Amino acid sequence: MYGKKASELVKEFVSCEHGQLTSFNNDLFAQVIEECNGHLLHLQPLMRKIQEHENKLKDNRRSEDETAISEDESRKSEADTIFIQTAMKSDQFGALIHHLSLVRNKRCLMAYVYNRAEVIKSLGWVIDCVLPEEIEEKLSSSEKEYFKNHAATLQSYMSELDLDLTVDMIPPKDPYIKVRVLDDIGEVVLSDQVATLARNAMLFLRRTDGEQYISQGLMEELTG
Amino acid sequence: MAASSDSQASAFSAAELEFLAEDEMIEIVPNMRMDSLNFVSGDFGPFRPQIATQVPLWLAVALKKRGKCMIRPPEWMSIEKLTQVLEAERDSEKFQPLPFHYVEISRLLFDYAREDIQDVYMVRSLIEDIKDVRFHKIGTGLEIISRERTYALRLKNLSAMEANIVRPFVTRALETFYKLSSPEMIQESDHLSNRQPQVTNRGPRRQLKDR
Amino acid sequence: MEPGAGEGSSTDDYESLISTTDAELLKRAWRNEKAAPEILKFEAALVQRSRQQIQLMEETVEEFTRNGVDPLTVSLYQMDLDRTLFLLRSYLRTRLQKIEKYVLHIQKTAELWNRLSKQEQKFAIRCVGDLTQHLEQSVLTKLPDQYQSHLKQSGASENDDMVPEPKLDTYIICRSKKFLGAFQLDDSGEEPVNIEADDLYALPYKSIKPLVESGQIDLV
Repeated sequence: MYGKKASELVKEFVSCEHGQLTSFNNDLFAQVIEECNGHLLHLQPLMRKIQEHENKLKDNRRSEDETAISEDESRKSEADTIFIQTAMKSDQFGALIHHLSLVRNKRCLMAYVYNRAEVIKSLGWVIDCVLPEEIEEKLSSSEKEYFKNHAATLQSYMSELDLDLTVDMIPPKDPYIKVRVLDDIGEVVLSDQVATLARNAMLFLRRTDGEQYISQGLMEELTG
Repeated sequence: MAASSDSQASAFSAAELEFLAEDEMIEIVPNMRMDSLNFVSGDFGPFRPQIATQVPLWLAVALKKRGKCMIRPPEWMSIEKLTQVLEAERDSEKFQPLPFHYVEISRLLFDYAREDIQDVYMVRSLIEDIKDVRFHKIGTGLEIISRERTYALRLKNLSAMEANIVRPFVTRALETFYKLSSPEMIQESDHLSNRQPQVTNRGPRRQLKDR
Repeated sequence: MEPGAGEGSSTDDYESLISTTDAELLKRAWRNEKAAPEILKFEAALVQRSRQQIQLMEETVEEFTRNGVDPLTVSLYQMDLDRTLFLLRSYLRTRLQKIEKYVLHIQKTAELWNRLSKQEQKFAIRCVGDLTQHLEQSVLTKLPDQYQSHLKQSGASENDDMVPEPKLDTYIICRSKKFLGAFQLDDSGEEPVNIEADDLYALPYKSIKPLVESGQIDLV
């Protein structure tokens, strides 16, 4: 069935979790392109035939006008015209089907590439110019290039403005937090102080300093 | 290349709503002396021990965390007021007036200023109950103020968090109504509602638009 | 500020205008930009003033640190600065993301194009270049001649029928600070609705667009 492969391509993108990508489906993509060119191969001769029909109809009309013809000949010419018109209609519908299938395939191909490009663009906000390998291997070569170009575009806007927009993605919190030390950690150098951390000590420190200890289970954040 | 419309589903994240709520003013009683603060967001202070002053919530919480003040919970957070609201909320289909950011403000205060709230457990459970009651009547308490062609909804007294919760549903439902009430659709339904005896003939079919 | 930017600028409006801080205005611009489906006018003057204030404040904080002002005061100033910086960054970022998304539509619509800052226009032009190059390489050059446009589905299309654009009849939630009275939602002669102060309404963005632009209504 025409257009089936293209719709599979789109479904493949949609079935992926929002903001995630699967590997670029080169194989299916190429098959859809091939189908498009197949449609063109059908389309071209049909268009030629339609043109021929039109020319013939014109000729018929002209000869009817120019020469006086017998009733018999006139009936024959009328039947001929109807025959040509019928053939032309059938060719026109055939051409329409191939044209619409081609357009549909194009839309699906574009939707696939465009929506993937949207995801790739959004990566530009969270990743610094270099893609991690597990994402990079999922991209087509044009997509890799697109990521690089777009990241550079974003970078050039930010440097012109002299403002980094890739930080502060979420609203700021108090940079300091209150924590309780859960283990005897001993003396540590923090960004703004040197502290000796004994079990159950409570202290006030920079969130960025505390986070590593919290994630290791060596401290807990206190609220209230 | 149809544009997806899901970006509208939630305009603000929970963290962003909290950020907005942190600009609401609240009264604190400092226990230290500090000069006025001339911020981008405004001038606050001066701070004198035992002299109450108004500051944005984020500043109140920052000072509280550092042990520099006590926070006076807003009046609407008293047991008396909350009990009234809860009763009214249960008796009426309408939403009772509460601060736009009541959910975020109360949560921040429960997190950082528990000791400053009298009967904190009671206050907390009252607010939880109010939230529940309000949430359950979201289906009945919204008032349709226009239904001729363009549907419009009045969300009287809905809070920021509640508006954010109903946003995806309400906006999508209204968009659908809007589409269904577009001129072509109305024509169609007029034909249907004529209730002519011949059921099969619904009059001329609407012409498909040219592409 | 242009005189008469908001309709019927009474003394009331004037007072609310001068008593509104840039921090408030920036917050409103951020909110509206985040909630509106289309890109709004770039708040050039406001952004410039905010950046100046941020810079001043950064200098103040440095000076405080040098002069040994107590760490508490310094950290509070820093927090205020962080909040303003977040608003500014998020505002600019929200705009760039809209430009990224609707760049082809914005580029060919003069009204929208003029809403961008100079830097945003440069950004948009490069975005179009990046995107069309990618679409051409991946798809378009592999298709038959008549089907190679990135704007039209085929040579048979009269209009650009393949350009993503924002849906302006999207519903938004909005709030007015003042009583606006009877307001006509659309031109169908439908009964006007009353927009009262501080109430929330869910309305089609299209119908209140002018009120957002004149600052009479806020998106939330």
